[in-house]
Amino acid sequence: MSTLLQEIEAQISGLKTGVTRQNVGTVREIGDGVAKIEGLSDAMLNEMLDFGDGIVGLALNLEETEVGAIILGEYTGIKEGQEVRTTGKLLQVPVGKSLLGRVVNALGLPLDGKGPIDTQTFYPVEKIAPGIIKRKSVTQPVQTGIMAVDAMIPIGRGQRELIIGDRSTGKTTIGIDTIISQARLNRAAETAKDASYRPLYCIYVAIGQKQSNVARVMAVLEEAGAMPYTIIVDASASDSATTQYLAPFAGCAMGEWFMDNGMDALIIYDDLSKHAVAYRQVSLVLKRPSGREAYPGDVFYLHSRLLERSARVSEKYGNGSLTGLPIIETQAGDVSAYIPTNVISITDGQIYLETDLFYQGIRPAISVGLSVSRVGSAAQIKAMKQVAGRVKLELAQYRELAAFAQFGSDLDPKTQAQLERGKRIVEVFKQPQYNPMPVEVQAAVLWTVQNGLMDDVPVEKIKDFQAKLTEYLTSRKAAIMDKIRREGAFSDALTAELKAAVTEFKQTYR
Amino acid sequence: MKLSKQARRDARELFRTCMVRDALDESRARQAVASVVQKRPRGYIAILSHFERLIRLEVARRTATIESATALPPQAQAEIQANLARHYGAGLALQFMENPALIGGVRIQVGGDVYNGSVQGRLALLQQNA
Repeated sequence: MSTLLQEIEAQISGLKTGVTRQNVGTVREIGDGVAKIEGLSDAMLNEMLDFGDGIVGLALNLEETEVGAIILGEYTGIKEGQEVRTTGKLLQVPVGKSLLGRVVNALGLPLDGKGPIDTQTFYPVEKIAPGIIKRKSVTQPVQTGIMAVDAMIPIGRGQRELIIGDRSTGKTTIGIDTIISQARLNRAAETAKDASYRPLYCIYVAIGQKQSNVARVMAVLEEAGAMPYTIIVDASASDSATTQYLAPFAGCAMGEWFMDNGMDALIIYDDLSKHAVAYRQVSLVLKRPSGREAYPGDVFYLHSRLLERSARVSEKYGNGSLTGLPIIETQAGDVSAYIPTNVISITDGQIYLETDLFYQGIRPAISVGLSVSRVGSAAQIKAMKQVAGRVKLELAQYRELAAFAQFGSDLDPKTQAQLERGKRIVEVFKQPQYNPMPVEVQAAVLWTVQNGLMDDVPVEKIKDFQAKLTEYLTSRKAAIMDKIRREGAFSDALTAELKAAVTEFKQTYR
Repeated sequence: MKLSKQARRDARELFRTCMVRDALDESRARQAVASVVQKRPRGYIAILSHFERLIRLEVARRTATIESATALPPQAQAEIQANLARHYGAGLALQFMENPALIGGVRIQVGGDVYNGSVQGRLALLQQNA
C-alpha cells in the first residue's frame, strides 16, 4: 500500500502547475476603433491581442513606449486602463473546403446562420507570396462564359485581371457571370465523372458594399446553383474600416489553401477602391503620415502584396493556382487617378468598361481598345485562337471606319463590307447578364460570323439568329459541339461539318 | 496634451542622460527635473510630462510585484527573489503584497510580464475556455 501512495505522490509532484508567462499592457487611449496600449513589450507586428470578452485586436504600430492596435469588431465596450494580453498568434482565418457555400466575415466567422464552420485548419491572413522557384507560367484557361472576354481578353488560371469602370457599368456582373460559369463547368464535369477537369472554386470578397447588394449577389448565386462552389467574404459598408481593410487578405488566405493543396481557385475583390479608402481611414487614425490624396505611403504595397499572392504554382509544388479578379471603380472614367493606375500597373491586364457603350446597349460594355490581357492568350484553347485571332483587329478597324463613315455616304464596297462585318461582330458580342456561354458555342458562333455566314442576316436580326443557331447546334448537332470541346481546335473535317450544319440551319431560318 | 516632436525628443534625451549602465539613476533624474524647472526651456511642461512617463514605464519595467493570498514566509520570498534575479538580472525592486482575492497561489508581475499561478487566474482561464 505504501508503494502505491508513494507512486501517487510522485505523480502529483511531477505535475506542472500550469503557470505560463503572459505579456500584458493597459489601454491608454481608445477611439475610432484604434487603441493605444502601454506595455505589451513582447507584441509582434500583426499579432492578435486579447481584450477580454472575446474582443480581438490587431497590433499594427509598434512604437517606443506603446502599441497601436486596431480592434476587430465592436469596440465601444473597451475602457481606458483595461488589461490587454498578447496571444502569440498572428491573425488567422479558418480555411478549407467546409467554407464552400458559406458567407463569412473578415475573421472567417459565419454570417449565414447555417451553424459553425467545421474546420481545423487555419491560415495566417498576411502571408508572403510564392517566389519565382514555386511559380509557373499561366497555361490553363478560366472560361468566364462571356464571349467578349473569352475571345479577346482571355484569362488564364493564376492571372490577375483587373475589372475597371465607372459606377453601374457591369463590373460586378462580369465577376458573377464568371462564378456562375465555373459552377456550371464544375457540375458538368462532376456529373460526367471527368477526372481530367480541374474544378475552379470561387471566392467573392465584398468590401464596403451595401448589404442589399451582397444579399442580391448571394440570391443570384444561389438561384444559379453556384453557392456550393463559392465562398462569400462580406465586410459591408456598415462594418468597421478595420474589417474592411482585412477582408481581402482573409479571402486570399482561403484561396491560398486551395492553391497549396493542388486545386484551382478564383477570387474577386469587389472593390479595391473602397479597400484603399478603408485603409486610408485606419492609417489616419493610427496617425501614420499621409501622402497623395491623403492615402498612406504604403497603399501601393497594400495592393501589390495582396495581388502578388495570386499565382500558378508548378507541378512540384502541387500545380494549384489562384486567379485574382480585382475590381476598381473609377470616377467619370478617369483611369489616371491614383488607385486605378496603381492597380493597373500591378495586374496582368484589365477589362475596361465604358458608360457610353453601356448606354448604347452594348453589354457587357467592354472597351476593346483599352482592355488587354498580358498573359491570357497562352491559356486560350486553340479553337478560340483560330476564330478570335482577327476579331480584335477587325473591331478596331470597324471603330475607325465607323467614325470616318459618318461624314460621307458613298463608300467603296470593301469598306462597306468591313463596316457590315463590324456591326455584326458587335451584335454577336452582346450578351445578357447571368447567362454564361460554353466555350464550344462561343467558338462556333464566332466561326460563323468570321466566315461570312452571317453577312446576309440583317443586323437587327443577328441576336435572334445567334440564339436560334445556338439552340440548333446544341440540340440537333450536339456531336459537332462535343467534337469542338474534345479536340479543342478546328480541323478541316470539323470545319466542313460545321459549315454544312450552319448552311443547313440557314435554309430553315427565317 | 499634444506633445510636439521636439518635446518628445528632448525628454528622451534627458531620460538617456539619467540612465547609468542600463539602470535609472534616481539622483540624476531629480537633478535633471530641478534643472529643467529652473531654466524653463521652450515647452518645458510637455518635456517634463513625457519625461515623467518614461520614468514611470522604466520603474514599472524594473519592479516586480508579488501578490499572494496570505503573507509569504521569508524563505519563499528569498526563493522568488533569487529566481527573478536569474531571469531579469539584479537590481529589481521587489514589492510583496497580500491580495485575498487570489484565493491561493502567487501572481508575479514584472513590467509587462505576468506569471499567474493563483487560483483566481486558473478559474478565469477555466471560465474563458468553457
